[in-house]
Amino acid sequence: MSEQDFVERMAKFPGSEVKLLRKGQIAMKVPADKGHEAAEYLKKMGFTHLVAIEYVDWIKDNEFELVYNLFSYSSKMRVFLKVRISRDNPEYITFMDLWPVAMTHEREAHEMMGIKFKGNPNLTPFILEDWKEIPPMRKDFDSRKFVKEKYDSIPFVEDEP
Amino acid sequence: MVDEKEKIVSEDMGVQVDKKEDIEMRSFGTIKRWATKRSLWMVHYCTGCGGIELAPLMTSRYDMERFGMHPMVTPRQSDLLLITGYVNIKTLKRIIRTYEQMPDPKYVVAFGSCPINGGPYWDSHVTINHLDKYLPVDIYIAGCMPRPQSIVKAFDDLMDMIQEGKADGYLRYKKYYDKYKANQEKIFRKWW
Repeated sequence: MSEQDFVERMAKFPGSEVKLLRKGQIAMKVPADKGHEAAEYLKKMGFTHLVAIEYVDWIKDNEFELVYNLFSYSSKMRVFLKVRISRDNPEYITFMDLWPVAMTHEREAHEMMGIKFKGNPNLTPFILEDWKEIPPMRKDFDSRKFVKEKYDSIPFVEDEP
Repeated sequence: MVDEKEKIVSEDMGVQVDKKEDIEMRSFGTIKRWATKRSLWMVHYCTGCGGIELAPLMTSRYDMERFGMHPMVTPRQSDLLLITGYVNIKTLKRIIRTYEQMPDPKYVVAFGSCPINGGPYWDSHVTINHLDKYLPVDIYIAGCMPRPQSIVKAFDDLMDMIQEGKADGYLRYKKYYDKYKANQEKIFRKWW
């Protein structure tokens, strides 16, 4: 199957917005409530590998975007499944039933962005230690101010000769 | 009590040389320092990109073993701690734990610009910018990353410093222990 065939097949999914980005890369936007269905649809098409779950903070739109990066070994194609969720109460459903590895990716998204995934039992602290601030990858987290207050305020121990 | 102990160690390592000093003690110190500087065993904490520069350094091209240096498996048998790259809160805990296990005399070499002031990661939320606020550093190597030649030069300088008794990081750590600990406590919420 050629790329155009894939694009056409994906466009048949209700509510989807499909765009061919470049050779072998397709972006597919779906409404948030149809994300799981779309993932199932894509998995049946041969996109069996969940490479990563990316997350984008669209702070002006007050939305988070989740990008599910899927890969097909049979056709060597990559598809980015994009859903947008509200920033006020960031919550989404887990994809663990389709790809068990989603647990780790969702755990990361939970730690770095503060997105909760319904059905994921393991949303515990992951990489960060001792973290008490808002999730650090959010756009409204002021990294420089944080560094100034936390690390630059610590005095030097001794005056070097 | 602490001062007396420190003084003995200092004299031994030639930090304080006064006129009354016994000539035998002095020569023994010289021999000890000479032996120390020619048998630096290192534990390298490859936190960042500097670890990649150690491979040509250890192998036949630059051959660090001609200086009597070679990697050691445990911190308890090492003299030299290499911090090869950026340090964040999580790794700093491990570094301190490693450093405190090492027997005296011990030396710290900081690679690259990251341990000096943060380097390219100066505004990252986890990278501690100045390593010498938490651990005494004997010698810094500037560069991002330093090439093996400059590392060899740094080791050469470190050996000279040891011979002259100027590499006194571990003594400073003892002297200002409370201050170092206070700084470490400030950025850790819990130790483990």
